[in-house]
Amino acid sequence: MMDAIVELKNLRVEFKAQNSGQGRKVAVKDLNLRVEAGEVFGFLGPNGAGKTTTMNVLLGFVNATSGSAFLFGVNVCEPIARQRIGYLPEMTYYYKFLTAEELLRFYARIFGLSRLEADRRIDQLLKLVELESVRKRPIKTYSKGMQQRVGLAQALINNPDLLILDEPTSGLDPIGRMKVREIIQRLKSEGKTIFFSSHELGEVETVCDRVAIINQGELKAEGRVVDLVEKHQANLEKIFLKIIGYEPQVSA
Amino acid sequence: MNTVLALSGVVIKEMCRRKDFYVLFVLTAVITLVMGSVNFFGDAKIVRYLKDICLLLIWISALVIAITTTARQIPAERESRTIFPLLAKPVSRGQVILGKFLGCWLACGMALLVFYVFFGVISGSREHEWPFLQYFQAFWLQWTMLGVVVGMVLLGSVVFTAPSSNATILFIVVVGIIALGRHLNQVALQQPEPLGTLVYAVYFLIPHLEWYDVRDLVIYNQHQLGWLDCGLATVYAAAYVAMLLFATGMVFRRKSLNL
Amino acid sequence: MRKPAPYFILVLLAAVCFSVATYLEPRVADWNKRGQSGSVLKLLLGDGRRLFANHFFVKADVSFHSGYYPSIFDQRKAPKGSRHMTAKEGEPEEEEHERQMNFLDQPKDWIERFGRHFMVTEHTHLQGGDEREILPWLRVSADLDPQRVDTYTVAAYWLRDLGKVKEAEDFLHEGLRNNPNSYEILFELGRLYYQNYHDIVRARNVWELALRKWFGQESGKKEADLLQFEQIAVNLGRLEEQAGNYERSVALLELARKASPNPAALQLQIDDLKQKIVVRPPPASSTSR
Repeated sequence: MMDAIVELKNLRVEFKAQNSGQGRKVAVKDLNLRVEAGEVFGFLGPNGAGKTTTMNVLLGFVNATSGSAFLFGVNVCEPIARQRIGYLPEMTYYYKFLTAEELLRFYARIFGLSRLEADRRIDQLLKLVELESVRKRPIKTYSKGMQQRVGLAQALINNPDLLILDEPTSGLDPIGRMKVREIIQRLKSEGKTIFFSSHELGEVETVCDRVAIINQGELKAEGRVVDLVEKHQANLEKIFLKIIGYEPQVSA
Repeated sequence: MNTVLALSGVVIKEMCRRKDFYVLFVLTAVITLVMGSVNFFGDAKIVRYLKDICLLLIWISALVIAITTTARQIPAERESRTIFPLLAKPVSRGQVILGKFLGCWLACGMALLVFYVFFGVISGSREHEWPFLQYFQAFWLQWTMLGVVVGMVLLGSVVFTAPSSNATILFIVVVGIIALGRHLNQVALQQPEPLGTLVYAVYFLIPHLEWYDVRDLVIYNQHQLGWLDCGLATVYAAAYVAMLLFATGMVFRRKSLNL
Repeated sequence: MRKPAPYFILVLLAAVCFSVATYLEPRVADWNKRGQSGSVLKLLLGDGRRLFANHFFVKADVSFHSGYYPSIFDQRKAPKGSRHMTAKEGEPEEEEHERQMNFLDQPKDWIERFGRHFMVTEHTHLQGGDEREILPWLRVSADLDPQRVDTYTVAAYWLRDLGKVKEAEDFLHEGLRNNPNSYEILFELGRLYYQNYHDIVRARNVWELALRKWFGQESGKKEADLLQFEQIAVNLGRLEEQAGNYERSVALLELARKASPNPAALQLQIDDLKQKIVVRPPPASSTSR
């Protein structure tokens, strides 16, 4: 059996409810998942399903109440587990007083890249995300799409083996989405493992090898996209709506 | 350490690219130069009022720079969500705190150095004396004090939600300590028990920032401080900084990253 | 209809603003007297500037002590009045002031003991020409509160001491314009005429006027300013003695003796003068009145 890049074992996350009268709220219920090397894995679910909480556990932002999570076989509690990952969060406004080049140099320094290696990587990435011509411009002058692409570049600065993308195309125009999708395809072709959440189910269907659908913290379905489509005889959007129990109101 | 230095570099770049420092420096320079151009009874040898005004403006500016720069660091990371890609890298929350502290402290030191060079030029041009060692001691002690202030504000920034409330509260606290800190023991003696003991406890608990204000020694050309005293004051400040950063780390570790 | 050009509208609005301003300006001047003041400080701060004047006067005193000064927690021990700022060593005011300024007790704890390394802990007064350093604060204090008379007297005292007699005279005149009934300023002005210009006539006139002002304002008061009265009377008495008017001198010293904390010393001078009167009868006509 191949080594799992991402592995969740009986992961459970509980929060204190905002309204103290309600006790504790279960965000993730005993979730088990495996993502293998080289896969593009789609993590789907409606808002509040527990996707972001699961990602936050993987990234070490939130501690699990019980169960465990591993990246490359290392418990996510260890900062070293994040040495080989890249993360693109949703809707981030990077340090607006820095240029794209300075931002990437900053992250390169965190990974301990040598100056020469950092220069090479920055050139490569700025070319990849098509920001070479504006590399010396402060980020505050960038459009939303450009900011998202600089975010993608920072996620790739350490040439990660695993990319975690949280709604990478949210809020982008069609051209912006297409560019990000192209980059994901290129990374996939380079053999990177990609774990990403999205509400754009058409996009997920195009890009992902496997998907998991969760609702109210529970895993509802998991499998190859082709298998799911074949099994339910419907496209991913319909499958998704059916699994989460949404009945469309059709007017006569 | 590389991570901490990288984080501090971003803070320094931020200060260099924001207008706060330049505005305060220009304001200090203009007020000092205007006051310096005033003719008081045709006596060109009068200098101490100018040193007094200049140092007062330097103290106010340095506090404003230290408090406002530090107060926005962690909240801005959370608000713009840059804290997420940062902590998704092999960076611990403790390193974030250390990096932010070092960046703010170094940025304050750079700003302070520019202010003191200006002060040295102004006072030297009038007095025709250059007591470098005394100026260095004044600079060092003020910078050391700013380290404690940065530590306090950093702790405030993970406790209070809004940077503005943090900055206001800490400004009042710091000015309060500088103005009243050394007299709290006298106040304690005049209070009935148990208030007296309480005030005395506060007196021993607060960092005595007023020690680091040696403006009078500089303005009135008083004796130079002993280096041992300078060293002890530095150790005292370092102990408070360590305690404050440790407390900040403890609070920040439990803090939700979302605003 | 064709829209008017934006520039035309802008010029029209500017013309309206200008017309309204020229129409309102004379009226606005009546609304607020502050606007008519020649002083920028008065214009900016209004009567609130008097609050700051005291601060700057104290600042001058702090400067005079090179930063050694009691805080608000030692206020009961703080120097009262401004006479110590012009008192010479050995004078009673100076001795009293030395006692007042002994406000630093033994340190109560290690924090206080260590903290004293970083502050001025020795009571000294400016000397050797450094007294000039208090002048800016006094100038600012006078600008903020022109009715505060000791600002003028203290500044003039040190200006004279620094050899800036003309500046001292001008400053005292400024003080008199703002405080025409001040016997303190008149007394200081008399000292300037007497000690610096050696102009006995003008000094006598000014001191006589000072005495009349003192009687007009202070006599009959429960806590009259006897110290100032004694100083005026003694100085005027000595001037008259120098001019040979012994009887007048005796009369003035008699007045001073009643107000003096050390009447015996004055009595000795009076006795001495009386002897002079006996030995040498007064001239038939006085050199002055």
